[in-house]
Amino acid sequence: MLTCYTKHQLPMLEQPKTVRIRFVKKGNLQYVSHLDLQRTIHRVLIRAGIPMWYTKGFNPHPKISFGYPLSIGTESECEFLDIRLEREISMENLIKQLNCELTDEMYVYDAYDAVTDANDVAFADYTVKICTEGGSPALAGKIAAVLARDELLMTKKSKSGEKEINLIPLIDQSKIGWCDECKSVVINLRLATGSKQNLNPELLISALKRELSILSGNPTKEHYTIMRKRFLTADYQEFR
Amino acid sequence: MNQQIATVLKTVQKPGRYAGGEYGQIIKDKALVKARFAFCFPDTYEIGMSNLGVRILYSRLNEEKDVWCERSYAPWVDMQEQMHKYDIPLWAHESGDALTEFDFVGFTLQYEMCYPTVLNMLGLAHIPLYAKDRGEEFPIIIGGGPCTYNPEPMADFFDLFNIGEGEEMLPQIVRLYVTMKEEGSYTKAAFLRRAAATIQGVYVPSLYDVQYNEDGTVKSYTPLYEDVPAKVKKQICEDMDKAYFPAKLVMPYTETVHDRIMLEVARGCIRGCRFCQAGMVYRPVREKTPGTLDCQAKSLFEATGYEEISLSSLSISDYTCIEELTDKLLGWTDENMINLSLPSLRVDSFTKELMDKIASVRSGSLTFAPEAGTQRLRDVINKNVEEADLMRAVNVAFAAGKSSVKLYFMQGLPTETNEDLEGITSLAHRVCVAYYQNPERNKSRGVQVTISVSPFIPKPFTPFQWEAQDSLETMLEKQAYVGECNRDKRVRYTHHNAQVCRVEAVLARGDRKLCRAMALAHQKGFVFDAWTEFFDYDKWIEVFTEAGIDPSFYANRAYGLDEVLPWDIIDCGVSKAFLLRERARAYEEKTTPSCREQCSGCGANCMGGERTPCPKGGK
Repeated sequence: MLTCYTKHQLPMLEQPKTVRIRFVKKGNLQYVSHLDLQRTIHRVLIRAGIPMWYTKGFNPHPKISFGYPLSIGTESECEFLDIRLEREISMENLIKQLNCELTDEMYVYDAYDAVTDANDVAFADYTVKICTEGGSPALAGKIAAVLARDELLMTKKSKSGEKEINLIPLIDQSKIGWCDECKSVVINLRLATGSKQNLNPELLISALKRELSILSGNPTKEHYTIMRKRFLTADYQEFR
Repeated sequence: MNQQIATVLKTVQKPGRYAGGEYGQIIKDKALVKARFAFCFPDTYEIGMSNLGVRILYSRLNEEKDVWCERSYAPWVDMQEQMHKYDIPLWAHESGDALTEFDFVGFTLQYEMCYPTVLNMLGLAHIPLYAKDRGEEFPIIIGGGPCTYNPEPMADFFDLFNIGEGEEMLPQIVRLYVTMKEEGSYTKAAFLRRAAATIQGVYVPSLYDVQYNEDGTVKSYTPLYEDVPAKVKKQICEDMDKAYFPAKLVMPYTETVHDRIMLEVARGCIRGCRFCQAGMVYRPVREKTPGTLDCQAKSLFEATGYEEISLSSLSISDYTCIEELTDKLLGWTDENMINLSLPSLRVDSFTKELMDKIASVRSGSLTFAPEAGTQRLRDVINKNVEEADLMRAVNVAFAAGKSSVKLYFMQGLPTETNEDLEGITSLAHRVCVAYYQNPERNKSRGVQVTISVSPFIPKPFTPFQWEAQDSLETMLEKQAYVGECNRDKRVRYTHHNAQVCRVEAVLARGDRKLCRAMALAHQKGFVFDAWTEFFDYDKWIEVFTEAGIDPSFYANRAYGLDEVLPWDIIDCGVSKAFLLRERARAYEEKTTPSCREQCSGCGANCMGGERTPCPKGGK
């Protein structure tokens, strides 16, 4: 196994290359913010002895670029980040070494040379589960009705101020059902994702809370989960 | 994690600090564990996770195969609100189990102002505050850390205190518990007595009868049984190279206060500043060897991925092998993009060579602590630093392109006059002048000198332990006076909150009568008093009044030299005779050389110790 020190013995690459690392972030780790994740990953890469390329300036630092930030409280099975490597390492070893430094709530499931651009992402699929007191298949119907409207306005806060936006055009697909086993409404969503158009599922849930007066009671009895399932390109191909 | 906790996490700020699940946390099978220990830090996760001692003890306890140590921190007030609303008791991070399910609940007492938070956490855990009210069904409550050199204001709430260094003492205590359980001889009372009688450093407050004189001072401490020590002698690790050191750390996901490798190079301090508690109670000075430190730093780097190593000790530049250590570390830190940093520097040992090696010194502002404004007062406190040393140090910094310097001082020190207070501002002024006289300075920038002045707090086991603190009015007048004396616009003046310092003085020198006030403070909902936004002086005075406590009895009274002190029950190694000698020398304005120059017979060599300047044979 490579360590922080032995990484210096790996053969140099002719040119630094970019590798895309795909990972899961779930369970307790859903509460780790994007900023904290960046710091954590940085240390994980160092611990794992990954031969990263460092910038050559006065304050050398590795190049790590993260995909689309997850909100606190959203889990994911499909995260990605890109790193630049300076030395040769097999993808198999890279995954193995990283996973030695991670836990079963955040682990790497794939790594490959990045050939596409993160900007190619156009959609993300999410599974939302809503559990409410006295929740029933009827709630699923009500939610479907809200999502079938032409307009669902929400105020979106951003750095440049507040803006009223219509969520409906940002929902590419939605499928709503009732899970008897988990006593929850299950919503499968395909939402606009990317630098041009983006919808955070949390914002959609806030809209449902407002429209249907749900999820405002005792959080130990009424709660929801969000899982990001996959990223897709504009032509609905799996993003790699 | 407990499902109930998980569901409220979406309703609170920074939920990451409650989630647990960190890399490096230790999970054990409850069925195979014979004792469960909840290590509590009475402040937020961000602060608790920064504490080196907690990290060491957590790993050390978990080295015991049949012991499972977990962590718990004080939840922020928004979380506490949710816990009350949905009846969620305080839990431990690893298992999510309530603290009542543990065999031991341990608190580290790092500073006096965290006392209300300790009681707050017991309350959140649904554990009765008073030791006497807790039956066999409740965990044993243990306290340790620097404040236990006078634990009396918290004595009624704890079953047992650890006096001294816990690396071995804590496992000894837990092992005794496991043994007695296995033998079938365990009852809480039998355990506490056997621990007090057989383990060095164990102080069980309930095993002593305390009598008071009519004037409210302590008359006597009498052990209830013959096998209970009349004085509790602290326990130390004699050889720091052999002291337990964790190979792995729990890695926080959220940003903590000290998010870096802390490499403890030595314990204790050779200097003997007369106001400084740490300089006395951690004696004898014991160093680690550079070889050990280099190995430990490497293994921590591999285990954490931290990019900064902070060399930690009370006075880092007094470490005898500092050159060898920094050379060894720089041999591998540079190529791994790791910075070295130093937390504190003495002006007399601040050199250009050291500055070139240490990144934190290269970037950012520099801080020095002359502590007093005149040479006379610096001699009184035995700072052993001269103005020329300070000027040389700041000139090194200025020549290296620095333009801002921070200087720490104290006000209200024994024998202080207005001249000493003026001396603070005139010294700062002379530092500004030195900047413009330095031909190598950064000519494009102006100088900025910050002076930070804190009121003196008399602390147990220091030569100044008997001294009175200034009254609140005097503290405030002096703060204003320093402000008036400061006529140099390049000198920025800041000071500590005098009200906090007064309450801290009461708690630092308090006796068991203060327990009543602490319980009352808890009833009134005190928490996070170390945070300025929660500290309310008027409420403290209200609590003291209702509890029948006169704060000036503890803060503003000169304790009698022959008085029985509340902390006389503790033996920290340094003798009272030495403290009295040092006090007398202070009033004679005489300095005392450092331990390395000449032994001044403080008595701490009775503790033993390897790689120490202490003469052998005191044991």
